[in-house]
Amino acid sequence: MADSTDTPAGGRVWSGPAQLVIGLAGAALLTGTGLFLGAVFLHVAPANSVSRQYRAEVDGVVYPEFEQNWKLFAPNPLQQNVSVDARVRTVAEGGATRTHDWTGLTAQDIAAIRGNPAPSHVDQNLLRRAWDFYDGSHNPQDETLTTARGKLAEEYLKRIALQRIGRSVDGERVLEIEFRVTSATVLPPSWSGEAPPPAPKVRELPWWPVDDEDYRGLG
Amino acid sequence: MAAFTGRVLGRHQAAVVRIGFGLVWLAYLLREWPHRRVLYGDRSPWSMDLAQRLLAENGAFTVLPWFGGRLWFELVYHLAVLAAVAVVLGWRTRASTVLFLVTVLSLQNRNVFLGDGGDNVVHLMAVYLVFTRCAEVWSLDARRAGPGRVGVVLWAVLGAVLAVCQLGDFSGESLTWTSPAFPYVGWAPLFWGLWAVAGLWWVLGRLRPDGEPRAVLDALANMIHNCAMLVIAAEVMLIYATAGWYKVQGSRWQDGTALYYPLHLDYFTPWPWLSALAGSALVPVFLISYGTVIVQVAFPFTLLNRRVKNVLLAVMMAEHLGIAVMLGLPVFSLAMIAADAVFLPTGALLWVEARVQRDVVRAGARLLGQALRDLERALRRREDVR
Repeated sequence: MADSTDTPAGGRVWSGPAQLVIGLAGAALLTGTGLFLGAVFLHVAPANSVSRQYRAEVDGVVYPEFEQNWKLFAPNPLQQNVSVDARVRTVAEGGATRTHDWTGLTAQDIAAIRGNPAPSHVDQNLLRRAWDFYDGSHNPQDETLTTARGKLAEEYLKRIALQRIGRSVDGERVLEIEFRVTSATVLPPSWSGEAPPPAPKVRELPWWPVDDEDYRGLG
Repeated sequence: MAAFTGRVLGRHQAAVVRIGFGLVWLAYLLREWPHRRVLYGDRSPWSMDLAQRLLAENGAFTVLPWFGGRLWFELVYHLAVLAAVAVVLGWRTRASTVLFLVTVLSLQNRNVFLGDGGDNVVHLMAVYLVFTRCAEVWSLDARRAGPGRVGVVLWAVLGAVLAVCQLGDFSGESLTWTSPAFPYVGWAPLFWGLWAVAGLWWVLGRLRPDGEPRAVLDALANMIHNCAMLVIAAEVMLIYATAGWYKVQGSRWQDGTALYYPLHLDYFTPWPWLSALAGSALVPVFLISYGTVIVQVAFPFTLLNRRVKNVLLAVMMAEHLGIAVMLGLPVFSLAMIAADAVFLPTGALLWVEARVQRDVVRAGARLLGQALRDLERALRRREDVR
């Protein structure tokens, strides 16, 4: 790279073919750059007449590698603390089943983040975004799928919890798992004069069966 | 037009962006090293099976499913570390930025449900950097006189590796020439194109270093660089414009309490006492909330005025430093600062360069002097013993 020229183009007299190549390439590059930036702009802009008209083209450029979401803390910052807990039902040698206490998965994350100048994605993003994925693909009323990807979200969430809980609790094999998710709205600032938010909402997911396959590769 | 074809615009800014993103990704990889297998490897709850079901849908690029298993993953992860180091140093940048792109995409696309805005911006810049001449200054490449033998060997090795990946069944659909949907191009044209151009550049440099074909290539490279720098700058503006304009509509930003809420989210309060303190008073919370929106909305327009732009740039970098500490998002914040750096004035960059050089020379001289004195003392002591 050290030997690239930095002299103004005026220092060289281009031949005809060279002019043609540079001219065509320049025109193609500028057009391509303009179209690319246009597509990215339409992707981040609110849905509009142009982005609806050219939806296939915009999506073709942007997905999968140029996807972006820059609505950082917008339109409003998140105002809820969401905590995910899980509990398991185990089976003893004789066949007796037992339901164990809730494990605070989010609480584990928070404990790891507290006092940590550089929190790991394992603690800050893994479970948090897995829950967002689940939430975005399920109906909160009856936990049915709203998108085809919902199945993946279920398996992912289950495996995150199982990795932390293990194959057995107190020497008994894990049979089923259940999630409970509490969403607590942040108390408004003291000076705002707003009414305190409603009590935290608790959402309980159905019991999911656990088999050996669910543990594959979890270490 | 002469500037577009004949000059590498913003060469210092390109170098800062390269070094910045190299460092951010390197720091991230090293920080996550103990967790790497859970995040992207064989121990991930997002199992390879789940990943492949999603990848079959979205077609994102990653080499990790090619072999699965731990060994391949470890190889890719550590290659990512090496690529990041090479990008920071500007060593064989034409090749190392491509490896940087491949490794960043491979790891991030292995599990897309891990990232935040920081990962997103690294992902985009990893692509854009490939097209910039980002090693014109502040790089090992710029210090080297000729192409050297290593470059040729590297080119041949990478070509062979690419050929194996292209021909092998293991790469599946990732290295296709075309894609079924718009814009109908796969990854193969990019990789082979870059490889072929690098070879052509070298051959022409040997045969006719002053000939017109090489000058044309040089002009093309300048044009591509200048377009890529435009894309990087536009990307940063889009980030701020989007973040700002959507906030304008938010009730919490309007009532001036927005800042208070992230400071009370468990996931983003590594120092609860500090967050409580920062969110405790009405007027500062109002001013920072409104100030954030104003700065983000205004930034793209301030590019028309150098002085105002530089002031705002400093404000935004300071705010990101605050976010790094306060919300426990150092990787995100440093990535944003590295992106902001594309707008740093050349004068400031040259000033930093001069300062660093002076300090490094001074520190080097001091260390050398100290070492010499120690050596002398040791020798004298030895003679005394005798």
